[in-house]
Amino acid sequence: MNEEQEINADEVTNDSQASEEETNISDSTQLEVSEFADKKTLGFGFWLATFWLVLISFLAVFSPILPFKDADKNYIAYEQKENPLTGKVQERPVQPPYAPSGEHWLGTDQDARDILSRTIEGARISLAVGALTALFGMIVGGTLGMIAGYFKGILDKIVGAIFLVVLSFPGLILAILIVALLDRSLLTISVTLGILGVAPIGRLARAQTLSFSEREFVMAAETLGAKKSRILIKELLPNVLIPMSTLAMLVIAVAIVGEGTLAFLGLSVQNSATWGKLILTGSGLSTLESSPWVAFVPMGFLFLTVASFNYLSDRIRDYFDVRDIFVTRD
Amino acid sequence: MLHETDSANNILELSDYRVGFRTERGLAKAVDGVSLSLKRGSTLAIVGESGSGKTVLNRGIMGLLGANIIEGGSAKFQGEELVNTNRQKLWGTKMAMIFQDPMTSLNPVMKVGNQVSEPLRLHQGMSRKEARDRTVELFTLVGIPEPAKRFGEYPHQLSGGMRQRVMISIALAIEPDILIADEPTTSLDVTVQKYILDLLVDVQSKSNMSMVIITHDLGVARGRADEIMVMYGGRIMEKAPSETVFQEMKHPYTQALLSSIPRLNDPKHTRLTPIEGFPPDIVDGPQGCKFAARCKYAQDTCLTLAPEETTIDKHTYFCHFPVGTDAGSEALKSNEDKGFTAAGLRIKSKGEVV
Amino acid sequence: MPKPIRRLIGLLGLLTIVSMVTFGAMNFLGDPLFNILGPVAADVDNPESLKVIEEAKAQYHLDKSLPERWARWAWDFVRGDFGVQFSSSGQPPVSDLIKERLPRTLELMAVAQIIAVSLAIPWSVLAASRANRRTDKISTITAFAFVSIPSFAMAVILFYFFSVQWDLLPDTYTATDPFWGISHDHRLIQLILPGFTLGIGSAAAYQRLLRTDLITTLQQDFILMAKSKGVSKRRVLYSHALRPSLFSMITLLAINIGFMIGGSLVVEQFFRIPGIGSAVVEATLREDFPVVLAIVMIVSAGFMVFNYLADYLYTLIDPRVRNEDTSKPRKITSMGM
Ligand SMILES: Nc1ncnc2c1ncn2[C@@H]1O[C@H](COP(=O)(O)OP(=O)(O)OP(=O)(O)O)[C@@H](O)[C@H]1O
Ligand code: SF4
Ligand SMILES: [Mg+2]
Repeated sequence: MNEEQEINADEVTNDSQASEEETNISDSTQLEVSEFADKKTLGFGFWLATFWLVLISFLAVFSPILPFKDADKNYIAYEQKENPLTGKVQERPVQPPYAPSGEHWLGTDQDARDILSRTIEGARISLAVGALTALFGMIVGGTLGMIAGYFKGILDKIVGAIFLVVLSFPGLILAILIVALLDRSLLTISVTLGILGVAPIGRLARAQTLSFSEREFVMAAETLGAKKSRILIKELLPNVLIPMSTLAMLVIAVAIVGEGTLAFLGLSVQNSATWGKLILTGSGLSTLESSPWVAFVPMGFLFLTVASFNYLSDRIRDYFDVRDIFVTRD
Repeated sequence: MLHETDSANNILELSDYRVGFRTERGLAKAVDGVSLSLKRGSTLAIVGESGSGKTVLNRGIMGLLGANIIEGGSAKFQGEELVNTNRQKLWGTKMAMIFQDPMTSLNPVMKVGNQVSEPLRLHQGMSRKEARDRTVELFTLVGIPEPAKRFGEYPHQLSGGMRQRVMISIALAIEPDILIADEPTTSLDVTVQKYILDLLVDVQSKSNMSMVIITHDLGVARGRADEIMVMYGGRIMEKAPSETVFQEMKHPYTQALLSSIPRLNDPKHTRLTPIEGFPPDIVDGPQGCKFAARCKYAQDTCLTLAPEETTIDKHTYFCHFPVGTDAGSEALKSNEDKGFTAAGLRIKSKGEVV
Repeated sequence: MPKPIRRLIGLLGLLTIVSMVTFGAMNFLGDPLFNILGPVAADVDNPESLKVIEEAKAQYHLDKSLPERWARWAWDFVRGDFGVQFSSSGQPPVSDLIKERLPRTLELMAVAQIIAVSLAIPWSVLAASRANRRTDKISTITAFAFVSIPSFAMAVILFYFFSVQWDLLPDTYTATDPFWGISHDHRLIQLILPGFTLGIGSAAAYQRLLRTDLITTLQQDFILMAKSKGVSKRRVLYSHALRPSLFSMITLLAINIGFMIGGSLVVEQFFRIPGIGSAVVEATLREDFPVVLAIVMIVSAGFMVFNYLADYLYTLIDPRVRNEDTSKPRKITSMGM
């Protein structure tokens, strides 16, 4: 469900006019909505979400040198048990999965592999997919959008048409088609998901560029004879970047979810543990019955990460007042 | 006691009634100690500039301001105390209200007929058919042509005047004991205005309900209200029988308001800025007379000491230097001689504000 | 030309491009001949195989150029002939598969939408009537959490609690069971878990929108007017405030139908519902191109049509703009899967 975000990057001017009208209508003496009052603080939730993302990124990046258990090793436990036939006390293996304990903080799966380690291993791939996807979306979408917004005219028309076509594809079907026909490498999956982010990011970049290119500082640079490429990079890019990166955060969230979705369709990154694949392995009837933590631990990590990205994006948009430009439905 | 209580005859009695809003800056005292009494079957006009607290006063009395307010003093309706009580049982039965803008105060997606018959069905136990017939009857009464056809139309299909007639039908459907009309004609055409006002007065006198008309415009009150109350900064400035206000006004604010009346025959309803300057801050207002900063009569006393009530016959006012009295003329003359008032307002001779 | 007609023509153009891109990509990236014949397709040295290959090429027009093949496909498609499935067991028409599977997906989506709307409305009314108080704040956080739960995770969660733990609802779908009825052997009941999986996220999304619009509406004068008429609080909320607040939610609802098709892929896969979602996944893995192409076309068309309708739907429900040829610029456009 939440793979869907609504973004409005066109009609910037229309929206702000509309909201002005709305505020004028009501002459009523009803209570004001104090939502506006705490607008300019980032709030506790913001720092909580940031903390989680920093933590999980840190764990993902440094997991090879951190003292975690080996994600692929089978940690079979043994117990002393009396053999009923011989009457001798013997050391015998205990049937996994093992519930969370001091030894395995978040339990193990049916093959006695440590869930915490596997989940952090999964974070490496899932976050990489998210980051690559956002990067692709920002580079391609941002470039196309800024060019369209700055040069206008025929370029704008062409780029707009490309965005429109990309947006009219059923995204997930497009993704499985590409992935099924090509290969299931990290890069293919990221680029495929990235294509879905190109149009929204591009539209936003276009709208921002369009509105900034008419501002005084850009006009001034133009009259001073600055090169177009210089204006794009020095004057416009910094102003497009903040709104674009809030959208990129949403794209990361969408990509992480997208990877999970592909995993559930049997199409995720080959030969690596991802959050999606971990949840899928844990979601069989017997596994859920005997060891729900196998599915729920990676799911918890995924949820916290996706929710944090959604929330951060939301707060930052509020903070920088880019709310009018696009509406999300995260 | 400020007013002799004549409870049997008075439908509404306020004494030192106050309404404050909690805001970030502090308490906004939108109504700051209003006392009045309204006789059964009579009409009171409340006049004042924008922001003087007229709407808050009336919505406060009706209890329509929500939970985030602080109410004080006393407001009695038919002898029953209203302040800090839930007035829901009076809504739609004993009290009715007409709002300023009939476009925004009618539900845009509900047929106007249903908006009129709703209180009939809810409170008078009428069947759908009875309520419909009664609504058509009311539409006829307020002069809506083709009433049966209008029943099924939406507000946007009607003109401003028609919508306001619908509003009046709603008020009449309720058959209230008191009707509060908050600037019922401000948003209308001048020709329609007169018709709507006369219609209101007409139904008022026929049904013997009491009425409060709120307006910017002293001209609207003239001849239609039994009594006029002039309000400023949440307080009463002057209150008197209608003609008295015009003949012997005592308050400089009333005088200023009067001299800026757009005549009803003016081509378009011209709303002049009556008086130079702005209404006082209601959170952190002036210590003395609220009008002092803009008053041509203002003396040092006015800045420090809030004027007491003076009541002669039925004429009440709050002013240290009333218009037409010796003290008043002297104060005005000395200010004119100096060229400025005690509050620093610069004036030319003969009362023209610079 | 009136704007709605212009837009409709634009949509047809878009659909054409979508079909070309899909058609091209599948032929370019995949190997249709191999998918029809299997290993024989590579055996060009054997004259017997070569004969089979030539026959197949002729039959499927694989010897023609790509644009010509697309044109043939498109001409058949507009006449309702979706071609035949690539299948070793005969060549059943694609339309048979669609006819069998599309209704199941539509049923699932209908159940999901009904669940979403019937959760969202009372939830929004409750939150808006207590705007910014504790109930509202908790409900906002809840809504935020719900939209952050992907449908596959929601499927696992609901399956775990309602099926594995409490054994309340069936988790198996039997296509041959009757629809109407309230036992575990009726598809209506079998669709509850999948419906909630798809519907909860939507409900939360609707709630966020409807709550905001309701709060705006509740500040309007006509609400005060209704109160002053002595209309009860409940009635003010449900019969005065709700209807004028519904427009953006209905827009989102129409757009969301398109999104739900995406969500239904996973849900159908997880709950083993043989709808078009699972059909397209199976067909993609088998590289059964005619099926994929047909479903891509149906889904894109549905997606676009509902997007298009979303812009005009409000003219049907808002009496203020009825009979007017206008389209309001909408706040919600979309990105997603
Ligand atoms: N909800 C509120 N919170 C804070 N202050 C308010 C609120 N409603 C009204 N006020 C303030 O109370 C004062 C009186 O407002 P009110 O609407 O009663 O004026 P009015 O005399 O009716 O003016 P108008 O002629 O413009 O209708 C104003 O200063 C207004 O800003
Ligand atoms: S004369 Fe003094 S008291 Fe009277 S209105 Fe002017 S300022 Fe107020
Ligand atoms: Mg007012």
